Amino acid sequence: MKLTASKHMKAFSTPLVQNNPISRQMLGICSALAVTVQLKTAIVMGLSMTFVVAFSNLIISFMRHMIPRNIRMIVELSVIASLVIVADELLRAFLYDISKQLSVFVGLIITNCIVMGRAETYALGNPPGLSFLDGLGNGAGYGSVLVCVAFIRELLGAGKILGYQVVPAGVYGLGYENMGFMQLAPAAFIIIGLLVWLQHALSKTK
Amino acid sequence: MSSTIKSIAFAFVTALVCSVLLTAASSGLKSFQRENVEVDQKKNILKAVGLIQDNKVYSKEAVKKMYADSIQAVRVSSNGAILKQGEAVDTALPVYIYVKNDQIESYIIPINSRGLWGRIKGYIALENDGSTIAGFTVYKHSETPGLGGEIEKRWFQKNFKGKKILDRQGNFVSISIAKGELSPSFPKEKKPNYVDGISGATLTGKYLTAGLKRTLQDYEPVSIKFRTKQFLQWHSGK
Repeated sequence: MKLTASKHMKAFSTPLVQNNPISRQMLGICSALAVTVQLKTAIVMGLSMTFVVAFSNLIISFMRHMIPRNIRMIVELSVIASLVIVADELLRAFLYDISKQLSVFVGLIITNCIVMGRAETYALGNPPGLSFLDGLGNGAGYGSVLVCVAFIRELLGAGKILGYQVVPAGVYGLGYENMGFMQLAPAAFIIIGLLVWLQHALSKTK
Repeated sequence: MSSTIKSIAFAFVTALVCSVLLTAASSGLKSFQRENVEVDQKKNILKAVGLIQDNKVYSKEAVKKMYADSIQAVRVSSNGAILKQGEAVDTALPVYIYVKNDQIESYIIPINSRGLWGRIKGYIALENDGSTIAGFTVYKHSETPGLGGEIEKRWFQKNFKGKKILDRQGNFVSISIAKGELSPSFPKEKKPNYVDGISGATLTGKYLTAGLKRTLQDYEPVSIKFRTKQFLQWHSGK
């Protein structure tokens, strides 16, 4: 029993840091550049992504013995696409402003290699419980990088956190200025690069 | 052979289940989404006349109340006369009127322009002199995020405020989006009719300029009424 518990734990925790989809596997970079100007959009994107990966893993894992091998990718894709559309519809119904800011990127979760990759490599060969946890872990791993990047970008680029001004006006009076560069996509590239470097450096010293 | 049939059957069932689920989700959430879209449009109308600020959060009820308090939706015929409710003509133009202290402050015209990837929808508000732009907003577009998509951003929209749709001689010239930022050498007499463009989004600017011109041209009869103060009289006479 203890063994399975630790196995479940591992399915969830490995993709969080050790095998993080963005900083280790270099997947999903495109959306990470686009939605990390503000913390709020990054959090919502991370949650939508977690929802989609976790449930697509769960559903595909349930069907893994039934899916005919030759059309498995098409089946995976229709499951993923349906979940993404549901997530998009939910956002449009309940978080309209954020869904407008996320614009096409929620829809583009369909093409995010993380989702398809997890379905192919994990959910097809593992039981539903483990697959669900693996999905949660990957979504959270993706989301946590997004949140880190967005935190830095919003703080340095606009002096705000979650839309609230945190850099006091006095500091601006002393000549401090927001880094406009942080608002642009290349800034996310640089921050993600630094995060990857940091993670590699830390894992080496261990 | 049987495996082929199995594959087809499986694909069919998957497609069926997915489509049923999606239909249910879409129709179940429709009423919420419709309300959001409606509030968002009202919000943009209010934003065009500066009643709503970008960096503040407004509840749905606050937006609805503000709209009901200060905006009147009317329809005008192509020669600029206000139509009575239910009166049918070939071309009825919708106009939103911002009334403040029983005076017409400005009027808001809906825009539906061609963009690079799809329609650009928004509002342009003109002050009651019939020539000065009071504000410009976009609530729906499919332009490239970061390039043409910048049309929804504050920095681009705020440039419209105070610009003119008439040249110095009083002729209609509409408002144009320049290619990139206006250079210091840009002819001074044309400056009131141009706003800074978005670098990297020349085509979006071009289509939006054309769309604005066409729309403002259609609404010229209304604007002329404002220029000659006839609309103001309509209101005080009511």
